[in-house]
Amino acid sequence: MSLKKQDEMDHNAWLKKQDLTVIETAFLTTLIWLDKRLRIVDYLELLETMYYRANLQMPKSHTEQYDLDNKFWYWYPLYSLGSLSIVAYLVAAVSGALLGFYYAPSTAGAAAQGDPTAAYDSLVFIMKDVQFGYMLRSIHRWSAQFMVAAVFLHMLRVYFTGSYKEPREVNWILGIVLIGLTLLFGFSGYVLPWKQLSFWAAQIGVEMALATPLVGEWAAQLLFGGFTLGQATLVRMYILHVFVLPFVVTGLIALHVGIVWVQGIAEPH
Amino acid sequence: MTNDDTPMTDGGTDAEARTDGGPPATVPPDDETPTWSERKEHSRGLAQLTYQYFERSRREDEDLRAESTYVERDVLGFPTWPHETLRNLAITSFFVGIMILIAALMPAHFGEPANPGSTPAIILPDWYLYWSFGLLKLNPLNPELAVLGGNIVMSNEFLGIVAHGIVFGFIGLVPFLNKGSARRPVEQPFWAAVGVTGVILAFTLAALAIQNFFPISLDLLLTLTFMLPVLGGILTYAVLKTMREGYMYDLNRRYYMLRPPK
Repeated sequence: MSLKKQDEMDHNAWLKKQDLTVIETAFLTTLIWLDKRLRIVDYLELLETMYYRANLQMPKSHTEQYDLDNKFWYWYPLYSLGSLSIVAYLVAAVSGALLGFYYAPSTAGAAAQGDPTAAYDSLVFIMKDVQFGYMLRSIHRWSAQFMVAAVFLHMLRVYFTGSYKEPREVNWILGIVLIGLTLLFGFSGYVLPWKQLSFWAAQIGVEMALATPLVGEWAAQLLFGGFTLGQATLVRMYILHVFVLPFVVTGLIALHVGIVWVQGIAEPH
Repeated sequence: MTNDDTPMTDGGTDAEARTDGGPPATVPPDDETPTWSERKEHSRGLAQLTYQYFERSRREDEDLRAESTYVERDVLGFPTWPHETLRNLAITSFFVGIMILIAALMPAHFGEPANPGSTPAIILPDWYLYWSFGLLKLNPLNPELAVLGGNIVMSNEFLGIVAHGIVFGFIGLVPFLNKGSARRPVEQPFWAAVGVTGVILAFTLAALAIQNFFPISLDLLLTLTFMLPVLGGILTYAVLKTMREGYMYDLNRRYYMLRPPK
């Protein structure tokens, strides 16, 4: 008895029986090879189901859908602000990662008070020496401004169209948390260049923390690394900006959009 | 040699120690997913309560569906995919173009290096935190809030932090205060007025934060900070109330047909 499989599912034999072109043979051979190892067929089936469930058709505008005359409230960009803030967030993430190659979160190098520090110098380096660096920083900053603006306007749109009402309360509260984190993102990024305004903005942050009873000093230690600003503050703001917040905010955005996906867009009017 | 059923020193048998898993311990009866009530019977405590609720909720759904006199509701919610997603992608890519254009035309500002020894004349955060900075400058209000023979209850800085808590807390409470099926501002003039008040307050607080730029006295500015939003709110309420009459016909005809009030 031969050790060779006499399986009726002998795909190679089936392949040979067919009259196929080279391209078709190559495609099928690759597909079979991958499917034997990864069970691609299961995932293709899932994708196919999703495709048919998606009920593809050209999008209708809100006005078309509801046969409305007054176009003012259905002005599209107002309904795209959430997406716009996500896209701005992605642009900021990519440009921020590129900026991170050159940035040094360090207050070293200042001989006297008011001298440029290593962090400040690395920004000067980015803006003056790095190819495209000036534009890169500009894109990063403007995408952050766009994101914050879009997030605020998104909240106003949701408020004035009553989209936060039952059953969407949880997402509204999640949105408030996300706005707070976005502002924290902006604040921590504002501190990183370690210029005069960065320093004194952080100073106000420390003073706010210290004015809070009970938890204030602990919060100042945690966020600013002490009661006076220095190296510890800069590193903490840096880690907050490039490590903690990206994970938390990305996760919460995914949850926020996921809930919208599950509940459907609030019925537009 | 040893039989599978021979008791071993610990009292067990080889049959129990089989490493191939043996026959599956639990076979789902006739290959079907158990219903909520079956699961309820097989569980206890919190799990049983959960299944009990699921059973009720399923029955409620079915009852409501059976009782419903609405043959077909046109739209329950707008599908996220593909309708919203495709349109949003088109619009947002346009905005990203604008963003990059602006980034090229108006590069980011860069200032002096940090100097802990000299406080700049004007300290300002980015524009989006002006309102927050304005909340920190409410200290002239603090003596007004004093009780207990004029002693200030909390420090000026803490007042600002409490103000933040009030703002965020109120916004978070909105969905629990404002209920019902009304969606348009004309349908709910009061809540639209509250919204306009909030928006104007954000702007006046921003103005309070950059008070150095206004050639008016601080008292007047502080009064305006709180009076303008209220005025704006009253104005919005009046306008929407007036507009409402004209809208009622359309609202009734088109809107409530889709979403009947409970």
